[in-house]
Amino acid sequence: MGSAEKRSDPGDRAISPAFECRLVTVEFLHKFSRKRIIEDISFLVRSGEFLTIVGPSGTGKTTLLRAMGGLTPTASGSVLVHGKKLDGPPDDVVIVFQDYSNALLQWRTVAANVAFGIERNLDRKEIEQRVHDALALVGLESNAEDYPWQLSGGMQQRVQIARALALRPAVMLMDEPFAALDAMTKASMQDELLRVRDRTGTSFVFITHDIEEAVYLGDRIAVLKGSPGRIEQIFDIGLPAPRDQLSTRQLPKFLEYRYAVHQAIGREHG
Amino acid sequence: MDKGRLIARINWPGTAVLVFVGLAWEAAVRSGLLEYEYLPAPSAIALGWGELAREGILGPDIAHTLISVAIGWAAAMVLGISLGFLLGLSATARRYSLASIEVLRPMPGVAFAPVGLLLFGFSLKTEMVVTILPVLWPVLVNTMGGVTGVHQRLYDVGRTFRLSRKDTILRIILPAAMPPIVVGARISLGLALVLAVVAEMVGNPEGLGYGIVREQQALRPDLMFAYIVTVGFIGIVLNAAMLALAEALFPSFRQLRGAP
Amino acid sequence: MRHTRPWQQYFKLGVAALPSAKGLLPLVVLLGAWQLLQTGNSPYFPPPSDWWNGLMLLSKSGRLYPALSATTITLLLGLVLAVAVGTGVGLFIGVFPRLSRAIGPLLEFLRAIPPPAIVPVAILFMGYDERMKLTVVVLAAIWPILLNTSSAAERVHPLLLDVARSFRLSAVDRMRLIILPSVVPAILLGIRVALPVAIVVTLLVEILTSIEGIGALMIGAQRNFQSPQVYGLLVLIGLFGLLVNNIFAVFEAILLRRWPPKTQSENF
Repeated sequence: MGSAEKRSDPGDRAISPAFECRLVTVEFLHKFSRKRIIEDISFLVRSGEFLTIVGPSGTGKTTLLRAMGGLTPTASGSVLVHGKKLDGPPDDVVIVFQDYSNALLQWRTVAANVAFGIERNLDRKEIEQRVHDALALVGLESNAEDYPWQLSGGMQQRVQIARALALRPAVMLMDEPFAALDAMTKASMQDELLRVRDRTGTSFVFITHDIEEAVYLGDRIAVLKGSPGRIEQIFDIGLPAPRDQLSTRQLPKFLEYRYAVHQAIGREHG
Repeated sequence: MDKGRLIARINWPGTAVLVFVGLAWEAAVRSGLLEYEYLPAPSAIALGWGELAREGILGPDIAHTLISVAIGWAAAMVLGISLGFLLGLSATARRYSLASIEVLRPMPGVAFAPVGLLLFGFSLKTEMVVTILPVLWPVLVNTMGGVTGVHQRLYDVGRTFRLSRKDTILRIILPAAMPPIVVGARISLGLALVLAVVAEMVGNPEGLGYGIVREQQALRPDLMFAYIVTVGFIGIVLNAAMLALAEALFPSFRQLRGAP
Repeated sequence: MRHTRPWQQYFKLGVAALPSAKGLLPLVVLLGAWQLLQTGNSPYFPPPSDWWNGLMLLSKSGRLYPALSATTITLLLGLVLAVAVGTGVGLFIGVFPRLSRAIGPLLEFLRAIPPPAIVPVAILFMGYDERMKLTVVVLAAIWPILLNTSSAAERVHPLLLDVARSFRLSAVDRMRLIILPSVVPAILLGIRVALPVAIVVTLLVEILTSIEGIGALMIGAQRNFQSPQVYGLLVLIGLFGLLVNNIFAVFEAILLRRWPPKTQSENF
C-alpha cells in the first residue's frame, strides 16, 4: 500500500490508475421526483497524482466526493479503486471533510483521534508508530495529548488529515478542506499537503471552488459544471514542482491556466 | 398553507400509535386481558370525568387550583423580576446574596408543607408556603441572568446616544433581558401548577391535587385518572397560553420558539 | 492542558467557581434576627437554637439516622435505575428516527403529567411499601434522562455518522465509539434535571404515606406539633439537597473535562 517515500516513477503512472470513475451518475429521490445531481462523470487518477475538481457551488461536487467515498450509491456507472468496483466505503480510500469540528471526536485526544481508523485492526506498537508518523507528517507531534476543541481551525483540520494518513490510504478524497480557514493558514496547509503527497505517494482528489487553489495544487484539474453536474473539461497542469506560493503564482503559465479554468467554468456562477 | 402541506405536517405515525395504544388499552381491559383491580379503561376514565363535571365537583376544584397557581405565580413574578433586576444591575448586591440563593434553591417545595400546616393549617396560605419559594427561582435567576447578559455592545450604543441611566434601563436593558425573563415566567408557571397540586395533596385538602388523593383513597381509579388527566391538560393549556402571549407581545423573539 | 497534579487543579477550579461567601449574609442575618427576636416559647416560630435541640432529640431517640439513610438509599437506587433504563431506552429511541417520530406524541402526552401526580396511582397499584416508593422515584426521574438521551442521540451530527460509515464501523462499534460518547453531556444534563424531581417525589411519598424517611419524620413531627423538629428537619433537607447537588456538580465537571466547554445556560 502506497507508503512510498518518493513519488512513483512516471512510467508506473500510466499502468496503474489508483482510482477511476466510469460514467458515474447520482440521483436523489425526493418524494415523487427524481433529481439528477451529477451525470456521466468519468476520469481517472493515477498513483501519486493530485487531481483537483473545481466548479461553482450547486454542481454536485460534494455528492461526487461522497459517491467516490462510497457513502452515496450511484444510480449508474461505477467507481473503481485499483480496478475493483466499489460497494460501500473502500479500504484504501479516506475522506477528509470540510467541517473538521464535527468530523473529529471532540472527546478524544488528538492522538486518540488519529488512531481512530486503525485502532481496531492493528496491535498497539504498530498503532503508536503510525500515529506518531502521521502526526509528524502534519507537524502536530507536540499536540498529541490535547483535545481538538483546544486547537485552532487549521490545527483541527491537520488532525483530520493525520487521521486519514494513519490508514496509509492509496487515495485521499478532500472536500474543500481549507475553505473555512483564513488565507495564511490556507496557504501553509496547501504546501503541507503537497509535501505529504511527495513523501507518501498518495493520490489526492481535492475538491474546491477556489480556482487559484485548484491550479496551484493540481497535476490535473477537472472542471465540473452545469445542472446536473458534468465534467466540462480536464486540464493538464504543466507547472514545475515543487510549487511555491509566491513564485509559482506569478508564473505566466499559472495565470494562463487560471484564465482557462475560469473560462471553462463560464459566467453562470452559482 | 395549502391542504397538501398541512396533511404532510401532521405526524401520522405518531397519532396512529397514540390511537392504537388507547384502543389496545380499552380492548385489553374490557376483554379481561388486563385484569387489574385498579386499572380502568380509557372509556371509564372519560365517563368518570364527565361524572365529576356534571356533579359540579370538577369545576370548583379546577378553579381552586388555578387561583392557587395565579397567586403563587403572580407573587413570584413581582418578587422575582424586581429582585432579579436589582441583583442584575448591582454586582455588590449579587456578591452579598448569590450564595444564599444557591443554598435556598435546591429546597424542595414539598418540604415546606409541614411548615405550612404548622402555621396555617388547612388553607390556601399553606399552599402558598409550598409554592412561593420554588416558583420564585426561575423568574429571579432568569431575570438576573438576562440583565447581566445584556451585551456590552448595547451599553456602548446607549453611551453613544448619551442615554440617561433611567432610559438605559427602560430602553436597552429591559427589552434585551425580555427573552430569558419570559422563559423564566413560563417555567415558573408550569412549576406553580405542579406545586399547587403537590400542596393540595399533602397540605390543603382542596382542588385538583386533593381530588387525586381523595379518589385514590376512595378506590375510584377512574375518577383519580380523570383528575390526573385534567392536571396534565391544564398544564398544556397554560404553557400554550404563555407561548401565545409571548408571541403576541414580543413577535420579534424567535428565541422563544424551541424552548422546551 | 498539562496536569501535573490534577486533583489540585480541580479543587482550585471548584473553589473558584463558588459564589462569594459574603453572599451568605442574608441568611445569616435572617437566622440571627430570628434567634434574637424569639425569646418567648412561640409554637409557630421557634428560634433556630430550638431547631438544633429538636434534631438532637430525634437523633438520640434513634429515629434520625434510619430515616436519613432510608431517604438517601431510595434516592440513589432510584437514580441509578433511572439512568440505566432511561439511557438504554433513550439511545434505542434516538437511533431509530422513525421510531422516535412514532412514539413522539405518546411521550409528549405522558410527559405532560407531573410526576407528583403519579404518586397516588402508585399507592393505589402497589400499596404502601418500599417497592412502591422506589418505583415512583424511578418513574419520575426517568423522564428527563430518557428524553435528553433520545434527543441527543437523534442529533448526533450527521458528519460523525458519515465518519463512522467511512471507517466502516459495525453498528455496535458505532454506538460504543461515537453515539454513546456524543450523548454523555446530555445524559448528565438529564440527571441534573432529574435530581430535584427525584428528591421531591421521594419526600412526597414519605409525607403522604409515612413510609420510613425524612419526609415521614417531618409530617410526624408536624402532627405532634413539634415545631422545632419540623424546622430543624427542613434545614436538614435543605442541606441534604445542597450536598447532593454539589456532589453531582463535581462529578459532572470531572466527567465532562474532555468535552468542549459549553456555556451553561441557567434556563433549565
